[in-house]
Amino acid sequence: MFYPVFWETAGFILSKSDPYLNRAYQLMSETPLIDGHNDLPWQLRMQFNNQLNKVNLDTLETTHTNIPKIKEGRLGAQFWAAYVPCETQYKDAVRQTLEQIDVVHRMCEKYPDTFKFVTTSQGIMDAFKENKTASLIGVEGGHSIDSSLGTLRTMYQLGVRYLTLTHSCNTPWADNWRVDDGSDPIQSGGLSPFGKQLIVEMNRLGMLIDLAHVPVSVMNQTLTMSVAPVIFSHSSAYAVCRHSRNVPDEILLKVKEKKGIVMVNFYNDYVTCSQKANISDVADHFDHIKKVGGAEIIGFGGDYDGVPRTPEGLEDVSKVPNLVAELLRRGWTDEEVKAALGNNLLRVMSEVERVRTQSTNNPGLCERVKRCGKDNSDHTG
Amino acid sequence: MMQMFRIDSNAAHACRHHIVSSTALETLHSVHAASQQGGKQTDLKMLSGWPVNMWLWILLTFIMPLLTSAYSEKERAQELMDRFPLIDGHNDLPLKIRVYYNNRLSQIDLQKISKAATDIYRLRAGSVQTQMFAAYVPCGAQEKDAVMLTLEQIDLVRRMCNKAQDLELVTTYDDLTNSMMKQKIACLISIEGGHSIDSSLAVLRMFYELGVRSMSLTHNCNTPWAETSTDLYGVFQRENNSLTPFGKSVVEEMNRLGMIVDLSHSSWETASAALKHSRAPVIFSHSSSHSICDNKRNVPDWLLRELEQKNGLIMVNLYSKFISCGKDANISDVADHFDHIKKIIGAKSIGIGGDFDGADSFPQGLQDVSKYPALIQELLKRNWSEQDLADVLRRNFLRVFKEVENVRDNSKHLIPSEDQIPSEKVKNLCRLDRQNPILQRSISGAKFILPNLYLMSSLLLFSSIFMNK
Repeated sequence: MFYPVFWETAGFILSKSDPYLNRAYQLMSETPLIDGHNDLPWQLRMQFNNQLNKVNLDTLETTHTNIPKIKEGRLGAQFWAAYVPCETQYKDAVRQTLEQIDVVHRMCEKYPDTFKFVTTSQGIMDAFKENKTASLIGVEGGHSIDSSLGTLRTMYQLGVRYLTLTHSCNTPWADNWRVDDGSDPIQSGGLSPFGKQLIVEMNRLGMLIDLAHVPVSVMNQTLTMSVAPVIFSHSSAYAVCRHSRNVPDEILLKVKEKKGIVMVNFYNDYVTCSQKANISDVADHFDHIKKVGGAEIIGFGGDYDGVPRTPEGLEDVSKVPNLVAELLRRGWTDEEVKAALGNNLLRVMSEVERVRTQSTNNPGLCERVKRCGKDNSDHTG
Repeated sequence: MMQMFRIDSNAAHACRHHIVSSTALETLHSVHAASQQGGKQTDLKMLSGWPVNMWLWILLTFIMPLLTSAYSEKERAQELMDRFPLIDGHNDLPLKIRVYYNNRLSQIDLQKISKAATDIYRLRAGSVQTQMFAAYVPCGAQEKDAVMLTLEQIDLVRRMCNKAQDLELVTTYDDLTNSMMKQKIACLISIEGGHSIDSSLAVLRMFYELGVRSMSLTHNCNTPWAETSTDLYGVFQRENNSLTPFGKSVVEEMNRLGMIVDLSHSSWETASAALKHSRAPVIFSHSSSHSICDNKRNVPDWLLRELEQKNGLIMVNLYSKFISCGKDANISDVADHFDHIKKIIGAKSIGIGGDFDGADSFPQGLQDVSKYPALIQELLKRNWSEQDLADVLRRNFLRVFKEVENVRDNSKHLIPSEDQIPSEKVKNLCRLDRQNPILQRSISGAKFILPNLYLMSSLLLFSSIFMNK
């Protein structure tokens, strides 16, 4: 409704022959597409050393993401990943993570007509009304906090709103997904006691807990412990493609019970368990998760610019409306589509915010784990 | 809490600096290295230089309040500080909380902390209205986990000032002045040493976002881009390179952000270079007069004059070893510093930066933060006007802070600096070499690392360091 006439017209012309795509554009103008994970900041680091003066996002051709593609793809909100590689663990992970957080801030400052940096569910809706892509930050990997709750808290203060508990390496307090296929040894049996302290602190802070990249043990433990709903920012369905990065059905049921969200990853290797995939394959994941867990637990987490292979028909961020059209073609209702587009994530985020507010007012929430004070002053890390 | 990582069992600790012992506390601020000690101007010299009528005046001022219930210096000092409560430039309570309590605020009653020289009760008694708390981490953490430790100290100050009703974190001039009306003790956050930013302007920016409003360019160690006055660590030594090009970028970015440049702990050459380069006024948050006590941490007269020319501020450090150049000192010794600096550059360039909890000996009568009125009392005795003292107590700092904000506001046309330090200046074992081509490769599942890649990348990192030596 608030999109410029040009885009609506262009969209209409392009989709003249496809009523589903028309409907997709219509729905995406009413509810923001909120994508859970995009690694453009990592590409900015690797390709340009974070020198934004050397980049023009209006014309950049070497990434899945640029501004025209974002507009064409109707991207309403994006969690930008502040990712640093696992080899920085025990080295300069914290500094590099701060640099990635900084590059997201600067990107939003440089392109204020396109991006609006936000930190709340309300902020997402405000940006959407202004016809901008709401920009949030997720830190991808517990190694980024160097086992320090003080670091976690300051990153929250810097606008970080989710932490993926691990990337592809164990932290001293959590195992990573690779223990499930045997390529890393189990060290913590899921979460260590400190890892569990971290979950409590994240609930208290209002930081979304992201279980992409974690093994099933961590999924189970977190889903049991967490008072707030949790997310998978970029993971798909294990039953459809048996890759350890994906979410097994019994976990989907727990996510449903806890009203969380699984934001589907488009990476070919997780979609078809092979190097080739197409839109239909991705939609199969959506269908499966809807079948097992219901339409309330599903979302989009494309993993663009973090993967070397994207599906045919979903080559870059401009193509996502085609996926929405495919869901409509498969009989998804408007409400189900809008739930997947953004309403589910907004629900989860609002609830996480509510738990934060309640924690400040009610220290009793922390009683389950001893040593949790109102200001969490014991949790120094 | 820290479990050993399976491949590099030493890696987990190689890049961590452990702030553990309280003995470490004494050495942390030990700038009283024997080599630094010089002669001090003796009390005798001062006393004998006073004319007779001055003696009469002093006698009268002592006797008068005893004979009558007339207005004493003590009451004048208190009344003055009621109207112009102190903004103090440097306090290391966060360090004490780290060393003694591991940052566990639940173990502390902020009203009364027996192990420290600072607590709310004594701040109130000392008429301290604003305290700049240092989020200090030792130089030993440079090239290790200084950034993380600094975040923890910033987090500590934030939690501390949020927890206590009497305290309030402020980050702007307006908030600071409002806090006085609300009868709160305002907290400002400073960073003590450029090693905390690990040569990254992005980190500097993020610290600013977290509320940091001042940074000393160095502590007792050189950074890759600035020099210290007291090189206890012997690192990053350069010839005639007081502030490198990147160091100038740091100062520029601090100006753009609105972060105060603090020259305490910097070498005089670094300080002079920073003074020349900074568009905003700068401070010495806790340094005293080199003329009175020739410790390299203090400021010589020529540098004071450069400071005054740029509308800067020297906030006098009360640590005995910088006051008397000896283990003992008294209030009169402290007042000598104030007198001298006023003589050289005037009262409008002076403030107070006690350095409580950052040093191990303080003058008799000035043992903790409740004792500031005794110092003001002494200055009143020495005929300092109330206007001058109001300036020293808070108005000079407010002026500087406002001007730093003005420079920021006039810098809106500047974009965040993308200057980066040349990588060869910061190569070390605890820093991942981003030029390592292994990182560029996307193996199955993008950004994933094959099992032995940890080993391979470590080997490559080591070999690249050896090749570059």
